[in-house]
Amino acid sequence: MHRDLRLTAVGRRYGIRGPWVLRGVDLAVAPGTLTRIEGANGTGKSTLLRLLARLDAPTEGRITGRPRTAYVPERFPSALPFTAVGYLTHLGTVHGLSRADAARRAADWLERFGAGAYAGTPMTRLSKGSSQKVAVAQALLGDPELLVLDEAWTGLDAAARDELERAVAERTAAGGAVVFVDHDPRRLAGVPDATYTVHDGGLRRRTDSGSPAAGPVTVVAVRGPSGVPLPPEAVRIALSTEETTTGNHRLTVPASHSDVLLRALLAARPPWHVERVQPGAAASSDPGSRA
Amino acid sequence: MTPLVRYQADLLLRSQRWLPPVILYVVFLGVGVQSGQPVLNSLGYTVAALLPVAAWLVRICVTGEPPAARACVAAARGPARAHLACLLTALLAAVLLGVVATVVVTIVSAPASNGHRVHVAPLRAAAAGLPAALACALLGTAVGALTSHPVLRSTGRAVPAMLLGTLFALVLAGSPAQAAVDGLVTGSRTGRPPVELLPLVGAALLTTAAFAAAARLSGRRSP
Repeated sequence: MHRDLRLTAVGRRYGIRGPWVLRGVDLAVAPGTLTRIEGANGTGKSTLLRLLARLDAPTEGRITGRPRTAYVPERFPSALPFTAVGYLTHLGTVHGLSRADAARRAADWLERFGAGAYAGTPMTRLSKGSSQKVAVAQALLGDPELLVLDEAWTGLDAAARDELERAVAERTAAGGAVVFVDHDPRRLAGVPDATYTVHDGGLRRRTDSGSPAAGPVTVVAVRGPSGVPLPPEAVRIALSTEETTTGNHRLTVPASHSDVLLRALLAARPPWHVERVQPGAAASSDPGSRA
Repeated sequence: MTPLVRYQADLLLRSQRWLPPVILYVVFLGVGVQSGQPVLNSLGYTVAALLPVAAWLVRICVTGEPPAARACVAAARGPARAHLACLLTALLAAVLLGVVATVVVTIVSAPASNGHRVHVAPLRAAAAGLPAALACALLGTAVGALTSHPVLRSTGRAVPAMLLGTLFALVLAGSPAQAAVDGLVTGSRTGRPPVELLPLVGAALLTTAAFAAAARLSGRRSP
């Protein structure tokens, strides 16, 4: 499939005689999946992400598939002679939107990340966190098929960090693939479909990530017609589901995915009735409510 | 491609990094071209000076964008196309500058050959000057493309290489720019504006090859 990005025996080194940064890497990124890349500093995570975003060609091996890609770099420069919304409008058109559409979405995304007030501010005057918000908005406004996040959460405030997690959940729910690197182990904990560790230039899939949700969870209580199973989409997102009484279900989801879950439940035919949404205790499959 | 070029052009315009080469060009013309001099000779001078300016504009466009911002654009459209947009923006700027300079110089110069012996129609002079300016703009951007990132990555090597490249492009026999300038200077002696298009075709071919090579390389050589 064209949108399916696949790395086959990929190696990368800088310079003709340089040491191999990565070697023998096999990786497939399917649409609608969330992939986490881990590894210590300097192991080649960023190189791998640059290869995935097709910013860089492999020295050996093959990369196939060319999804519409957006990339969020680790550090975003503010040394651009645009206003935030001016830059985003340009990037929106580069991502294939019309100018009017790009400007509208730029304003929307800045608003979502709490940077709406800085829309008309020259980027050279933005703080580090605000310019990171611009970098994230740049990647999200084109609804990319592949979103590559290189420590995109660094520098964002708490509200924007949560918003970015929700945006990632929305992107994967909409069929986009997301690959991310982040040093916080609780980032989107329990959600990734696959976690890989970069070690000694190779890539290993981590299989021990069985501990569900070390991060915050949300408990959703819903009622539906008795005998009707929960929508498969909702079951896939939920960490645990429990039928409390006939027709009444209690679902535990990562907090980042609560909006996506609610959308799946309300859009189902017949729709489910949402009775209660409340934050659950972290790292617990027992959804006791927090005081 | 259009959104990419529009973005790059806006970046160039707002960064104001185009000011030094343009001011230098204007000063150079102000010193070298005086009103009332034979038009074709002045045009030869004008298009020759455009070549290094075009190479400099490429350098400005290629180095002007911070690497992280460049990566965002390259992820969306591919590094080759992102780089090509930089080069095309520089070419457009150089062509614009060349056209304006040609028109102004044609207006202020004397419509005559050397020694004011033969009358040279200003329109015909401009018609000879414009292809020559275009050839020099093309060849200058080609030199710029081959002597900046990603072909030459250290500034220490890139800038001397660019200066040498522009010099060779102007003086080496067989170079389209040399042929274009020579045609104007000879035309000024004889009073017949040159109508050859060969230099322009040659410059276009060389520039296409240079742009293609640089764009191709930009996908394989990241920072």
